[in-house]
Amino acid sequence: MPELPELSADERSRYEWQLWVRGFGETGQRRLKATTVFVSRIGGVGGTVAMQLAAAGVGRLILAHAGELRLNDMNRQMLMSTDAVGEPRIAAAARRLREINPHVVVETISENVDETNAHRLTVGADVIVSAAPLFEERLQMNRQAVRRRVPLVDCSMYDLEARLLTVVPGHTPCLSCLIPESPPNWKREFPVFGAVASTIGSLAAMEVIKLAAGLGEPPKGRLLNLDLGSLTFASIAVARRADCPECASTLAPF
Amino acid sequence: MRLLVQYTAQLRTAVEKAEEEFELEGRSSLATLLARVASRLQAEATRHLLTPAGRLQPSLMVVLNSQVVSTREAESVLVKAGDVVTLMPPIAGG
Repeated sequence: MPELPELSADERSRYEWQLWVRGFGETGQRRLKATTVFVSRIGGVGGTVAMQLAAAGVGRLILAHAGELRLNDMNRQMLMSTDAVGEPRIAAAARRLREINPHVVVETISENVDETNAHRLTVGADVIVSAAPLFEERLQMNRQAVRRRVPLVDCSMYDLEARLLTVVPGHTPCLSCLIPESPPNWKREFPVFGAVASTIGSLAAMEVIKLAAGLGEPPKGRLLNLDLGSLTFASIAVARRADCPECASTLAPF
Repeated sequence: MRLLVQYTAQLRTAVEKAEEEFELEGRSSLATLLARVASRLQAEATRHLLTPAGRLQPSLMVVLNSQVVSTREAESVLVKAGDVVTLMPPIAGG
């Protein structure tokens, strides 16, 4: 196992409050610094994940998202500002992330994940964060995570609801166990508040920090379902599919 | 026996309610309950539950008392009075 990177005096000062967190400390911070996280896309959810991970001091962020920032992204896009509307969003995101924390290496890819590029885009990632609005993209990221045996944190939302699934290949069900195919009725644009996107994005970032630092327990085999309308959080037991095309062959026998 | 069905996400929007009670005969399966639910829904809501061929949508998550149940097992899973069944159509990021 490679040696963990050292922390500079500036980094120790920057992260002081979280270095006090029980079970994290300097070793946890150095583990986080040694971690590369792939995030796609960089919308209200992925942008929040990237922002929180940058502030927390993750070592390297690989951000993937094609296209320009649109005005109707701005109700949930905390990472970018209005003057960037019309610009490539990935450039605006990287600029702001470097302002938040210049210690983080930010790499950008102006592509969305698909079957042809998923392998190439996720090379080198220790954790994959799926925050895309299309199921094809999420299932491709899930496939890469399972094949590479790296964790996947999948985030989703609709209206006042949001869901979070952490996949630890070899130990938990994967996204394909729950969603075996792209649903035919899904609409690319849907009702949601930025506060819902930020909530689930922040929870996802915490999951990544936990996975990277070996902190706490990931919710293995649990789907977190948030209903912010009733302020109800439910932890739902999910099961592996014995015939899952993605993960069945990688798991221990039932 | 009485059971509670909860609707989430697009299904809740289409049904315009968060939950409703259903009355079933004793020793009914989850499939029987889901068929009863489908029969009560309008077309806009039904498509989140059933395929055009009338089968359960493969990506619909059916939660029986905090545990996801495979829709393929719906025939063999029995429900009982007081059960809470939550119907969760798949949602995504953005």
